[in-house]
Amino acid sequence: MNGADVQVWSFVTAGLMFIVGLYAIVFMENLIKKVIGVMLIGDAVNLVLITSGFKPGGIVPIIGEELYNNASGLFQGFADQAAYSLPFALVLTNIVIGASTLAVLLGLTIKLYQRYNSLSVTTIFKEDES
Amino acid sequence: MMGVLEIIIEFVLMFAIIAGSIMALVQKDLMKMVVIIGFQGLGLALLYQRLLAADVAITQAILGSALIPGLIAITVFKTRRSEE
Repeated sequence: MNGADVQVWSFVTAGLMFIVGLYAIVFMENLIKKVIGVMLIGDAVNLVLITSGFKPGGIVPIIGEELYNNASGLFQGFADQAAYSLPFALVLTNIVIGASTLAVLLGLTIKLYQRYNSLSVTTIFKEDES
Repeated sequence: MMGVLEIIIEFVLMFAIIAGSIMALVQKDLMKMVVIIGFQGLGLALLYQRLLAADVAITQAILGSALIPGLIAITVFKTRRSEE
């Protein structure tokens, strides 16, 4: 086992999270569980982007003390060791947008419950047809 | 070079994330689901930290383990707690 295995299995984890979220969206009866399925798919996409920026055996992309004291090879050492930090900035935006989308979905769920007095999609469809 | 113990931590975190998301979706009581979703978000934040993304880990720890379970808990309080 080494660091590259961590990257491969992290991609596998993201794929399994995507499958679980898709199952929850399609087959779950409760509306709140469908919303949680949307959240799981967003987390899976974030995990794929984070894993693509991971470098096995690298460092966090912050210039630490021992790297700063080695001032002659500062840029070279940082470029060799640090993880790729562009996907981290993108995921940081995506997490906040995902949280606000989740808030809007939960608000719509509350309004649906106040109108149909149920959270089950079968009951809501049946009352909507009648 | 990473030791074997540090890699075992990451595999345990990945298993905890998958098991947490499956366990949360099979609960009948929705408040138990909210608590398990909070712990799943915390495990995801720890995995981001292990994957060298420290800034994303801080944001995910705040949002995934406090704010999102809070929002879902408010929704559960305003609707019904048990799944029909």
